[in-house]
Amino acid sequence: MHALIIDDSRAMRLILRRILAGLGFGATEAANGREALDLLEVGLHPDLCLVDWNMPVMDGYDFVSEVRKVREWRDITLMMVTTESEHAQIVKALAAGAHEYVIKPFTAEAIADKLELLGLVQDGALA
Amino acid sequence: MILAMNGEQALVAASPKPTDVRKLTQEVWGTFLGEHGPLEVGTDLGFAPDWSASVSVKGEWNGVVALEMTTSGAQRLTRSMLGLETSEELVDGDLVDAIGEMVNMIGGNVKGLVRGPCRLSLPLVAAGRFAHGSGQREVVRLGCTWAAEPLAITVHAGRPAKSLTTRPLEAR
Repeated sequence: MHALIIDDSRAMRLILRRILAGLGFGATEAANGREALDLLEVGLHPDLCLVDWNMPVMDGYDFVSEVRKVREWRDITLMMVTTESEHAQIVKALAAGAHEYVIKPFTAEAIADKLELLGLVQDGALA
Repeated sequence: MILAMNGEQALVAASPKPTDVRKLTQEVWGTFLGEHGPLEVGTDLGFAPDWSASVSVKGEWNGVVALEMTTSGAQRLTRSMLGLETSEELVDGDLVDAIGEMVNMIGGNVKGLVRGPCRLSLPLVAAGRFAHGSGQREVVRLGCTWAAEPLAITVHAGRPAKSLTTRPLEAR
């Protein structure tokens, strides 16, 4: 399994990369939605994208909306990982095509639980 | 008996409460940095901050959430978040990134405490003490200690953006 971690914070990308490594994922990083789209356009095809909302250049909402326009990328699972906790924002992201939503701060267990719900990891994979 | 609130009282009433900000800050801190000791709230050491990070919330409620730290505190936070040893060198960009992300998480959760739709800005990190806008007043100040390092979390509130009067550009 391979994940694309999209967050403008290097510290946050590193934290997520460590959690994903513990779940058996390889990972590529992008600092904003535009960088992430560029990676997809040159052929990267991850199983999962972890997407922050507030980022410079292109935010996570616009990234999700762009990915969902492309037929070849429809099998990519999109999970928002963000501080945006308003119900309306969550609904907006899910309506745009995100599959799941995790609010920062999160634990490794919370990420594992969501990925298990999405069928991307087995029960107890973190242990 | 109905008592009307003045503008100042209304501003405080609409703002996040110190107890709620304290709770969410300890949750954010504990989730990512808890293994290096708890965030103790209630101290006010009157320290001189070397770094300040802030995020603005704009919309129905208008305010700024700020985190102030010393350089040694910011270095400790950064090493903890990045999982680096004390022997590994840090550059200012590492500190800016780490304390910016911390205030982003605290600010995002503060935004969740206020009524109505609001937007969260990207974090702004600067050297020295946080400088708030002239129209804003401090509604929350948490003096804290973490890993023997002093830090402060503040929330400043101003009038909601929608109540500000602006002239059309062509009329200026």
